Amino acid sequence: MQSARSLISAQKLAGYGVAAVAAVLVLYPVFFLLQAALDVGDPQVRPPTAYGFDNFNGIFQYPQILLNTLTVSVAATVMALVFGFVMAWILTRTNVPGRHLFEQLMAVPYYLTPLLGALAWSLLGSPESGFINQIWRALGGNGHLIDINTAYGIAWVMALFEGSVAFVMIAAVMKSMDPALEEASQIMGASRIRTMLRITLPLVVPGVLGAAIFVFAEMLGSFAAALVLGLPSRYYVITTAIYQLVQQYPPKIQIAAAMGVSLFAVMFFMLFLYRRIVMAGSYVTITGKAFRPRVADIGPLRYVLLGVCLLYLFAAVGLPLVTLLYASLQKIAVAFPAAENWTLENFRVAVTMNAVRSALANSLLLGFGTATIGVVLMGLLAWLIYRSRLPGSGLIEYIVMFPQAVPRLVFAFGLMWAWVAFPIPIYGTLWLLLLAYLTVFLPLGVRTIAGVMLQIDKSLEECAQMCGASWAFRVRTVTIPLLVPGLVAAWLLLFIASIRELGASILLMGPHSKVITPSIVESWFGTSSELTAALALIQTLVVAIAMILLIAVTRRVGAHPVD
Amino acid sequence: MQASPRAPASSSLPTPHIEVERLELYYGSVPAVRGVSFKVLPGEQLTLLGPSGCGKTTTLRAIAGLEQPTAGEIRIDGVPVYSSERGIHIRAEKRGLSMVFQSYAIWPHMTVFENVAYGLRVRRTGAAEIAEKVHHALDMVQMRSFASRRAAQLSGGQQQRVALARAFVFSPSVLLFDEPLSNLDAKLRADMRIELRELQHRLGITSVYVTHDLEEALAMSDRIVVMRDGLIEQTGTPDEIYRLPNSAFVADFVGAANLIRGRHRSDLDVDGLIALEESTGHIVYGMAYGRPVGAELVVSVRTVHLRISTEPPAAVQNVWRVPVEQTVFQGDFTQVHLGWGTQHLIARCAAMEPLAVGGEVYISVEPRHVVVLGA
Repeated sequence: MQSARSLISAQKLAGYGVAAVAAVLVLYPVFFLLQAALDVGDPQVRPPTAYGFDNFNGIFQYPQILLNTLTVSVAATVMALVFGFVMAWILTRTNVPGRHLFEQLMAVPYYLTPLLGALAWSLLGSPESGFINQIWRALGGNGHLIDINTAYGIAWVMALFEGSVAFVMIAAVMKSMDPALEEASQIMGASRIRTMLRITLPLVVPGVLGAAIFVFAEMLGSFAAALVLGLPSRYYVITTAIYQLVQQYPPKIQIAAAMGVSLFAVMFFMLFLYRRIVMAGSYVTITGKAFRPRVADIGPLRYVLLGVCLLYLFAAVGLPLVTLLYASLQKIAVAFPAAENWTLENFRVAVTMNAVRSALANSLLLGFGTATIGVVLMGLLAWLIYRSRLPGSGLIEYIVMFPQAVPRLVFAFGLMWAWVAFPIPIYGTLWLLLLAYLTVFLPLGVRTIAGVMLQIDKSLEECAQMCGASWAFRVRTVTIPLLVPGLVAAWLLLFIASIRELGASILLMGPHSKVITPSIVESWFGTSSELTAALALIQTLVVAIAMILLIAVTRRVGAHPVD
Repeated sequence: MQASPRAPASSSLPTPHIEVERLELYYGSVPAVRGVSFKVLPGEQLTLLGPSGCGKTTTLRAIAGLEQPTAGEIRIDGVPVYSSERGIHIRAEKRGLSMVFQSYAIWPHMTVFENVAYGLRVRRTGAAEIAEKVHHALDMVQMRSFASRRAAQLSGGQQQRVALARAFVFSPSVLLFDEPLSNLDAKLRADMRIELRELQHRLGITSVYVTHDLEEALAMSDRIVVMRDGLIEQTGTPDEIYRLPNSAFVADFVGAANLIRGRHRSDLDVDGLIALEESTGHIVYGMAYGRPVGAELVVSVRTVHLRISTEPPAAVQNVWRVPVEQTVFQGDFTQVHLGWGTQHLIARCAAMEPLAVGGEVYISVEPRHVVVLGA
């Protein structure tokens, strides 16, 4: 006979075990980050000899950095929202040709990464050698047409990529609006303009506001573009400043920690605000029902809008890729094209140079490791949070989603500080990177798997139980087979994210545990832009292959709907 | 409100197959079931009937073992599978029951054959026996030719049949049904109702059926338990529930009824009939069927029992001349709204000559159809 008590022991013990692992992964570095931020004693001594808030006052020694951060974030948010809103409106509400294809292409900038964009736009727009400025001078212009190494240059590159995030969010709002709401207004006799002003706009405002706050929070924590474009002109934002303070000698760990804590406090508040707004605006958006939005016939204007779509994708995807491809095939990229300047040497070096090969191999290894361990860990967590009805699962969800609100660089800083002090010497090894990846990608993995898990009707599992199947048997025969497409998708997403990871890796990799993305940055500042372009393209190719597999998998899921 | 008109099982009755005693189930502090007791006899089909949120599905899932109750006891074949006092909670897969789910829960990654064979595979049945039993079960639900199909390629009605075959193929001792027909369209639902009833008779299996559909409950059950707000409102055979509702709730939920309130005029009681005086002075004669009769009464008159005629009927009791306020043609019947004292009565009549709105007609009802409701 099975007693109520023995039920608790088996399943729940395993559940709490997994939850504990996740909690340690997340909370252990956060603890050390907070400790460093509050440490006002001798920086050479650990654990801290005195605690206080002086480090936070210390932040204000750097008013320029705060101002820079604000300038870049606001400018980038405004631009990204404009891109996102215009594209969302064009693609959901007008009959622009090929809008279904465009809608899918809008995800591409996001997967291309801001780093790639920053490298390409640096080649295009640096004041002296940038291609655009060279052409400008060749055409008789003076000085430079554009300068990418400024606040607005950084914001431009960030906005190009975050624009696709804004697009997804705003398009979702526009799609979830019942067209009957507008039609009702017209039936009552309101003109199109009046309908637009009185009905359409008020209905999308909460969604757009939500997107604005979300994008702004992301911008505050973004790192790659500010690093590549800001460092040459010594233009620092808070993330690059933290990086600089940690890397310089002697490092200013305490101030950096205080900056990190402040940044994630602000981001946390922003994301909290975002959730509030999204929930308050639920009277329009969150009906859970997808409507077919009313598509306006805009006549010949649609070819103009088609041009707008093409222009955005050109600036965000086409131009950067072509630029990098061109640069990677040149001996000296900044020279004007000449027959003898073409070469495959950069790619040869890229695949034969030891440092690069080991970085690429390490990244692939980490990608496989993170994805494989991650899918198991995050799958269990998703099951625990959304299916097990375990007491405390709400708290586990909060902990698991916590890294979402912390810039990866800041998180890595906490990790570094935590594991330097840890008795097991994993600092400077790939193991630490693996731990870091597993931690910072917790929200991504859990959310992806949970999305698939929640689609699976609970009664499918319960029915197996009613047929007499034990827990292990029904997990093996029902739960896992139904989850497989979702797990494969999560695996590929984690793999892609690991291969592209910069913020955490750049702080945590040791001299013998280099990975590809920080190596690209190192190569950019230390070697040649031509070689860097080749490296970036190789990385993009790996990601693209994984992407294509991902699309193939998700297509198959679509073909066999799980109801 | 818990009182069941049935006497407790006497020693001559067979041992109940399922016994639910003082079952309570809380979600946090929200009560879903607040103390429910009933028994299901071997081979009996018992239906839990009630509006959504009345606790019927929760009760069924507690019997299945999919929900852990807060208090009470559940016994199957006399063996406790849940007991709060003794700390017993046997897991669903160990209870030897089977269940048909509202959503069918057909596994989309398996063929029809594999879906049905699942319970047999769990029981480590031999391959030959599995093939034989699965085909037999599929024959019974007329789905044999679909055996190799993927579940995703089936229509709703076909999925329903597969779910049914899967539920009984391994000869469970009890079949539980959680609103199995609610996702089918009306025509198919009526057909499946008859098929299910027939199948249940052929298998002779004890079953507990949950529905909010009155017709389904009346057509399919040996006994019905009407639930409301986590409590049992009335227990009885379909005929008892329909003819003798013991509360305004049951009268109204189980088919449309006119409820009439008034004062008991015991001075006018005659021949075992109870007389009620409505506030405007109408006297209504009804029957108490052994229920206690208080000073204030509520009686129920089913809409189909009100007779309408243009000539005065022969009866002397329960006859009134009333104005027609509205008629609503509804196909198989016409619904007539009639003014009567300070309230309206509704009558449903088979297709008839159209009545002039504003004209007067006679209505009458036999006293045996005027049922005094329990307190």
